[in-house]
Amino acid sequence: MSIAISNIVKTFGGFTALKGVSLEVEAGELVALLGPSGCGKTTLLRIIAGLDAADSGTILFDGEDATRRHVGERQVGFVFQHYALFRHMTVFENIAFGLRVRPRAQRPAEKEIQRKVHDLLSLVQLDWLAQRYPAQLSGGQRQRIALARALAVEPKVLLLDEPFGALDAKVRKDLRRWLRRLHDELHVTSVFVTHDQEEALEVADRIVVLNQGQIEQIGTPDEVYDHPATPFVYQFLGDVNLFHGRVHEDQAHIGEAELKARGQLNAGASATIFYVRPHELEVLRRPDGSQAVRAWVRDVRRVGSVIRLQLERLDGHGTLEAEMPRERYEDEVHAVQKGEQVFVRPKNMRVFSEHHHGSGVKD
Amino acid sequence: MTALAHKKYSVIPGFSLAIGFTVLYLSLIVLIPLSATFLKSLSLGSEHFWEAVTSPRVLASYRLSFGASLLAAAINVVFGLLVAWVLVRYRFPGKRLVDALVDLPFALPTAVAGIALAAVYSRNGWIGHSLEAFGIKVAYTPLGVLVALTFIGLPFVVRTVQPILEDFDGELEEAAASLGASRLQTFLRVIFPSLWPALLTGFTLAFARAVGEYGSVIFIAGNRPMVSEITPLLIITKLEQYDYAGATAIAVSMLVISFTLLLVINGLQWWSHSRRSASASSGGHEPVVDKPGFARAHARPNPAAPIAERP
Repeated sequence: MSIAISNIVKTFGGFTALKGVSLEVEAGELVALLGPSGCGKTTLLRIIAGLDAADSGTILFDGEDATRRHVGERQVGFVFQHYALFRHMTVFENIAFGLRVRPRAQRPAEKEIQRKVHDLLSLVQLDWLAQRYPAQLSGGQRQRIALARALAVEPKVLLLDEPFGALDAKVRKDLRRWLRRLHDELHVTSVFVTHDQEEALEVADRIVVLNQGQIEQIGTPDEVYDHPATPFVYQFLGDVNLFHGRVHEDQAHIGEAELKARGQLNAGASATIFYVRPHELEVLRRPDGSQAVRAWVRDVRRVGSVIRLQLERLDGHGTLEAEMPRERYEDEVHAVQKGEQVFVRPKNMRVFSEHHHGSGVKD
Repeated sequence: MTALAHKKYSVIPGFSLAIGFTVLYLSLIVLIPLSATFLKSLSLGSEHFWEAVTSPRVLASYRLSFGASLLAAAINVVFGLLVAWVLVRYRFPGKRLVDALVDLPFALPTAVAGIALAAVYSRNGWIGHSLEAFGIKVAYTPLGVLVALTFIGLPFVVRTVQPILEDFDGELEEAAASLGASRLQTFLRVIFPSLWPALLTGFTLAFARAVGEYGSVIFIAGNRPMVSEITPLLIITKLEQYDYAGATAIAVSMLVISFTLLLVINGLQWWSHSRRSASASSGGHEPVVDKPGFARAHARPNPAAPIAERP
């Protein structure tokens, strides 16, 4: 089922949680609502589900107006961050709940319920837990049961509110890959909320980046990562170094360094902020013309297979963070140590004009 | 040092001191007076004892005392839940006042409550007068006893259910609604099972209080033998006649019946609890209700109170 959301506004007292959000979700898509806490992503999800009502705006399911439809009639499956399993019921009864509460005429026979619940249990790979109680399960198992319970009513839309937020890092990674595979099998239109950009980039077909009740950008993971529309999106999707400088005749001036800039930059010597990801910073042992910023190494951190360098600019314009694979650190940077001096050159940087139209600057 | 080394290490010290004090205290306050009652009643001899506790007038008083207490507790479960529900779920002007009002039956001297009830429900009282028109007599009938016992039992149910209801996870209701359950189904299948242990506790407390109640009942009951005479009153009557052995005999029989009933209710509670969470050691995020306790009934509805523990 496709979802068309237009101009949703929602206020809580004096606080405007959603400021006119419009969004289209195509049938069979897996969409991530990504944003920091308080950006309105959960509110939007709850409005789609019918758990909250919008102040204004409309929601169409397959072209039909569902704005005033009750949550029980929307045919949505909702998965909560904290699972919301019924703790006095066994896993089996939890999953069967949605079938048992149907009006008598539509209620499947007991045999049919048994079959269906067991099918769902094998789908989430937990058939051996049918007679357990939620309190006896691990977090990851509980979330899979919650998902099976939501799927039992054959929802047209699956909505997941930070489904992996309460799980530890390892389980979280396993589970989100599993969710992606499950979605590829079932093709049910799904929207999930997350504040974890890695999760969104890995799982979703499309990402909707929200900030302060507004959509910043909608796009595929590659689009939002490689072509962020706004400084917010750029900063939210990964670590970032900021360089204050000027653009003058296709040259980017950062402090004493001068970099050749390609692409369309606004002419004139306007002050600009250049955005550079830590892995796009080249660290050199020796000077390379005037095209580098000088810095000294404050700290060297090994995080698994990558090395993170904390650098302090010699011209006093703050700190930088550079990231590189271990091999490159050892071969090209000669395992530079704390206190040594290096030359830093952005390999790729991004400039956002006043109107937030991003453009790349390549060296 | 070697003696200490044999002791099992515990972070909380003073177990032996604590248990020693507990046993001593319970003995002084509860066990010794109770044993004295038993001993005193023994002086009657089995034949006289049996006669004393099974005379028709005494049997009628048992029926009234236990029957009315059970019924009053049951009524309080229904309406106490309703009051707690309204106090927790809705906002309305004067809510704090209503909340405070619930505690009134706790605080009021029982005799005052009794006189007030008798005045209101008697033939020329406000309510008694109106009910008289329908041919319903409350004061000086078993119905009056029921009214008094319901009055004094209400706070027990409200105050046990209220914190559980406050801690109830709203997401469970939303989950049920999203799965297509109606409001009634959500209440019966999701909310009620979580409340039921607390309701049972409230029922037990209200019942226990009602069985022992004296002051508020005697004014409204009329105390007609075989009709509206409660067992505690019979005990007083015997005492006034200097029949100490007879009084204690009835007291003992009452004690035994009460104890048995409470044991049954506790068993029910234990059974429902063990069924609910099986061998759940690590809980979810909902409150767990276990055994009844007086401290709980008096606890103000405070989410931080130890009533609802969040593991």
